Amino acid sequence: MSEHAAPAVKPADDPAFQLPASLRSLQMPLLGGGLVALLIGMGLAFSVSDADMPRFGMSAYLTAFLYVLTIVLGCLFFVLIQHLVRAGWSVVVRRVAECIMIMTVPMAFLFLPILFSVFSEGALFIWTDPEYASKLHLDENMWETKKLFLNAPFFLLRALIYFGIWGALAVYYWRGSVNQDETGERAATDRMQYWSGPAVMAFSLSLSFAAFDWGMSLAPMWFSTMFGVYMFAGGILAAHCAITLMTYVLQRAGALKEEVTPEHYHDLGKYIFGFVVFWTYISFSQYMLIWYGNIPEETEWFFSRQEGGFGYLSIGLIFFHWLLPFFGTMSRHVRRRPGVMAFWAAYILVVHFIDIYWIVMPEARMVEHHTIPGFGGALGILASLLCVVGMTALVVGLVLRVAGGNRVVPVRDPRLRESIIFENI
Amino acid sequence: MSETKIETTVHGMMAEFTTVDSLLSACRRVRDAGYTKTDAYTPFPVHGIDKALGIKPTVLPWICLIAGATGTCIALAMQIWMNSIDYKYIISGKPFLSLPAFIPVAFELTILLASFGAFFGMWALNGLPKFSNPMFTDPRFDRATDDRFFLYVDASDERYDAAGVRSLMADTGSDYINEVVEDDSPKEVPKPVFLIWGLSVAASLVPLICILTMRVTNSSQPRFHIFFDMDFSPAKDAQQVTSLFVDNRAMRSDVPGTVARGQMEESLDMLTGIDVEALTLTDPPRVERLVRAYMQADDQAKAEEQETLEKEAEATDEATEAAEAAPASVMDTTPWVEKNPLTVDADLLATGQQQFAIYCSVCHGMDGYGNGLVNQRAQSISAPTWVPPASMHQETLYADKYPDGKLFSTISNGIRKMPGYAGQIKLKDRWAIVAYVRALQKSQNASLDLVPDAKKAAVEKAVEEAKAELKRQAEEAEKAAAARQQAQQ
Amino acid sequence: MSLAIPNGLDNTVERPGERAPLVLGETTYHDITEAVCKVAERPPSKGWIGGFLVAFALLQMLGLLIVYLIYTGVGVWGNRAPIFWGWPIVNFVFWVGIGHAGTLISAILFLFRQEWRTSINRAAEAMTIFAVACAGTFPGIHVGRAWLAFWLAPYPSLNLWMWPQFRSPLLWDVFAVSTYGTVSLLFWYMGMVPDLATFRDRSKNKYRRMAYGILCLGWSGSSRHWMRYEKAYAILAALAAPLVLSVHTIVSFDFAVSQVPGWHTTIFPPYFVAGAIFSGFAMVLTLMVPARQMLNLEKLITIRHLENMCKIILATGSIVGLAYGTEFFIAWYGQVPAEQFAFLNRAFGPYAWAYWTMISCNVISPQIFWFKKARTTPWIIVVVSIFVNIGMWFERFVIVISSLSRDYLPSAWAYFSPTWVDWGMLIGSFGLFFTLFLLFCRTLPVINMAEVKATLAKQEHMAHLHGHGEEAGEGH
Repeated sequence: MSEHAAPAVKPADDPAFQLPASLRSLQMPLLGGGLVALLIGMGLAFSVSDADMPRFGMSAYLTAFLYVLTIVLGCLFFVLIQHLVRAGWSVVVRRVAECIMIMTVPMAFLFLPILFSVFSEGALFIWTDPEYASKLHLDENMWETKKLFLNAPFFLLRALIYFGIWGALAVYYWRGSVNQDETGERAATDRMQYWSGPAVMAFSLSLSFAAFDWGMSLAPMWFSTMFGVYMFAGGILAAHCAITLMTYVLQRAGALKEEVTPEHYHDLGKYIFGFVVFWTYISFSQYMLIWYGNIPEETEWFFSRQEGGFGYLSIGLIFFHWLLPFFGTMSRHVRRRPGVMAFWAAYILVVHFIDIYWIVMPEARMVEHHTIPGFGGALGILASLLCVVGMTALVVGLVLRVAGGNRVVPVRDPRLRESIIFENI
Repeated sequence: MSETKIETTVHGMMAEFTTVDSLLSACRRVRDAGYTKTDAYTPFPVHGIDKALGIKPTVLPWICLIAGATGTCIALAMQIWMNSIDYKYIISGKPFLSLPAFIPVAFELTILLASFGAFFGMWALNGLPKFSNPMFTDPRFDRATDDRFFLYVDASDERYDAAGVRSLMADTGSDYINEVVEDDSPKEVPKPVFLIWGLSVAASLVPLICILTMRVTNSSQPRFHIFFDMDFSPAKDAQQVTSLFVDNRAMRSDVPGTVARGQMEESLDMLTGIDVEALTLTDPPRVERLVRAYMQADDQAKAEEQETLEKEAEATDEATEAAEAAPASVMDTTPWVEKNPLTVDADLLATGQQQFAIYCSVCHGMDGYGNGLVNQRAQSISAPTWVPPASMHQETLYADKYPDGKLFSTISNGIRKMPGYAGQIKLKDRWAIVAYVRALQKSQNASLDLVPDAKKAAVEKAVEEAKAELKRQAEEAEKAAAARQQAQQ
Repeated sequence: MSLAIPNGLDNTVERPGERAPLVLGETTYHDITEAVCKVAERPPSKGWIGGFLVAFALLQMLGLLIVYLIYTGVGVWGNRAPIFWGWPIVNFVFWVGIGHAGTLISAILFLFRQEWRTSINRAAEAMTIFAVACAGTFPGIHVGRAWLAFWLAPYPSLNLWMWPQFRSPLLWDVFAVSTYGTVSLLFWYMGMVPDLATFRDRSKNKYRRMAYGILCLGWSGSSRHWMRYEKAYAILAALAAPLVLSVHTIVSFDFAVSQVPGWHTTIFPPYFVAGAIFSGFAMVLTLMVPARQMLNLEKLITIRHLENMCKIILATGSIVGLAYGTEFFIAWYGQVPAEQFAFLNRAFGPYAWAYWTMISCNVISPQIFWFKKARTTPWIIVVVSIFVNIGMWFERFVIVISSLSRDYLPSAWAYFSPTWVDWGMLIGSFGLFFTLFLLFCRTLPVINMAEVKATLAKQEHMAHLHGHGEEAGEGH
């Protein structure tokens, strides 16, 4: 029950709803620079590959790819869930999420190198190596059965299904939202809500299996039913951070000055805090169960993440992915300061990369003789960073391009007014 | 607040409103008029009223944070002290200080204490419980928990002046304005309440007192046992009988067809003294029976094997006595182990000597000539059924005619009147006896050449002494026998 | 399908940009007070007395069976090697799961600002506490020597000279369930204080007034108090939300940290939590749909409230189904023979009947809620929610019994058969639950009046802001 009268919604062609020129001009530098950085990074990464780390090059690429993909899919989930629960508060930041969500389409193209690697033996996924079973003295029958799932044609088919589902969902919700900008049709909101239930189910199923395919099968003999949820937890956290950060950048550049208020940052901050806890909960549960059960088939995965420098990364994740952001975003006063929240969002986006790196890179090592996993020296670290920075810049460039061609807020969404006047209790 | 007891102490002024909005605007009016000691009473939390009244935020979150942190520390300290320092106990191979395993309890205690902080902290900050409140004196105030909203200005406010406040409140559109006066309703609690309270306290103390009395006094009565058979377990001792099993034995033998842990460490050859591999070629069913008897604790198979051996041994006995042409017996056809499976060294021979002295020498004599104490006694009383023990020094018992395995089998299963010693003497000790018997046999046929030169003289001297001693003993024995005969006559 | 829609308004339809009302009819604050207080103030109905007598008789049976159990020993149960956990632990996990909806509705839906929770949270919280009481009974008697259960507490003992084993998940359970019970009780009680003050102020009888006066701690409705109260409520909600997740997580640890095939799988924590929410909401619906009609609370607990709960049932039911599927897939993918056997044995072994009962009740039956017609028809809701309750009991049965009955040692395999004592205790625990619940209905405010009034105030405020139009009133 606010004292002040609610501000009126501005007309749809107000400059506050357009991408500011300063950001518009960043598109080409980001696209070009990103591509160059990605290519240099890949070149460096392949040069680091050696007998100890035969799959380093493609692993660096996969790290960057999964980093961006988890954020993009997190945004897709964010949009779906807002429709599912008929959320009102989030309308002012939903278009930002939608711009990132639609990046599933370019991500499908960026997936192609990974797809090719599956057909060249042992370039990324060790199960593509025909010698794998014999080198590790695995039981032939068991391996034959397992190959029913882990084989290149089926992998290709599954990837097509995943990207088919995500692409269809992203395009459907993007079109629905953008068209509403023009038509202002209320029924569009109803339609999108109607499909959001099945959409969330299809999304969860495909995400879970994609995580098994692209993350878990890096160590073909390891398995954890929780793994899909783990990848989801990191992705949804990073997605909220990306939305927060991008909204902040938009505001700094001059858009959405009056529409997005500390109330929205407060809510995003609550979600960020909540998902930091959720990520911790999921990763702790996974670790705890495997640590306590102490079965060699399972502990192997964590064991290779305690060797080399990765032991420090594991401990570091506890402190920097949980404790620091947990206490950092706990207070209401922090969450209501857009600048501080934007800092924490950027910070978590960095540690999310460490999390993905920690999942992927230890598997680049030579498995047959149980080589200790490594970072590939300074050059290897530089290569990994260049890959991820390059791909992120590329995708951000595309996001700006998409945002520039449309409005940065769903201007005719029937709940926009509710979102603008929204106040936390 | 002044406690001067005039007829009614005035605490302040209240005004009633019917809607949230009218209350809110009245609050702002009162705040803007400069009053600070004000309050509003509503049936549900009204948002924005803290601003309208100028209420400051609460410190409650800090109380919770501190309480929660205390919970974490207590939980971690408790678990580390209890499981890693004071009472170390290995469980499922986990370290004493297992941080992951301590997290759940640490989490729960954090939540518990933080919740206590929020719950009790809130009541403490609110000054509750407080059962008497001047506001309650006005009967219309009962609707403050139903559908009415009240604004209150305290009389201790610097700007308070009854008439001014009343007119200000009337100005805001209130229908009902009244002074809040001291609660003069009777303070004493009704007597039945005390009675019920006293009785329930007394009743709740009874069990406590009972337990305390029992803890500090001694009783001549035996303790009360809820599960009698848990306190006094009906476990049986080794030789007792039980009705639980058909054979009434409390002690159970091994289950046929199974191998107990720690068994089957020895080969079947060693267990039986038979060269099983050779036997497999000639008599597979017997090998099968041996496996069941010796490796799978099949009592029946063991009995059958025993019977075969005994019968054949007797048959051999008769055969040798009666005719040389008797058919070859099992004892002869069995391919016996030729060589002692244990490494023969001084230790083994010492063991063999010791065991021989304990079990064998009573009949066979310390020297193995078959003249042990039992035999001497049997001879002296002319026991009619006595079969004299065999001498170890007849040629038929030498290793080439009587292989080690056969000797072992005889010790284990017995022959003629001699019972089997498998039950008394351990497996390896029986083989040690076999080794010792071989040494004993050799000792009676040894030539002096075998003795090292350095010790020859000593041996010769010892032989002389021994011979003299034997002679002396024989003479003494003769004398004694003569003396006995004389005495008998 | 007799749907009493007061005012002819279907509040399950929500036009985007407007919010459908959660309190129906021309309701005033006083109407809310009247509707809720009447439930406890009017003389008990015949139905209530009958129900109470039955529930109380069952409770007595539970008590007698516990005495019989303690006097005779745990042999009166069907528990046997290797299924030592048996029926009592199935019941324990079942009741703990039921106990999740209450705090979830209060805490998590509060944090998500789902205002429809206000009409149902009180009864659901009460249910939580009663369900936790039922749950706590079973491990208490399952320890064998129940009178020594206090040894689980870390107190310096002069008899034992030892401490509890904190590396055991069973001890985590002790802490989790007791913390959960305590915090739920505080949360429930704190939420009730303003309503108890309403009860006090409406009481005509001196002793009744005094009793409610003591229970409400002298609540006056002061804005300063409300401000701290709301802060404390928000903090408790923020604390209870992770707590409610942790409790079933820790219950799942009981299973998942072991190496028993079918138990040791990392999806267990979130899957158990989803299952608990699922069963808890099913129990809330089973109770609330008849209760709203019997207690004449249709204006406050509207069809929209029921529909929302049905949606949550559909969502959590699907999560549970996804978890069943993932478990099966990973058992095959992992290529560990014991795991593969455990899952095949579940679906096609001697307990296949229980497994398929579980699947049909838990995964298939809620799918009917994809249809709005089913979500808004009370009798369908009750039938499905009872199915879900049955299915969730069987889920625990399948997990506990089928995994234990055939583990690594085939010579020890056995088939579990419950005894009459097992059945009696399960039924008796429902007696405990319903006795407490019926007493609650008669003595305490069944709906959070203060929060519903706040919702009504906000609803009016928003309607005012949106220029409360005539179209909001039109029937759909």
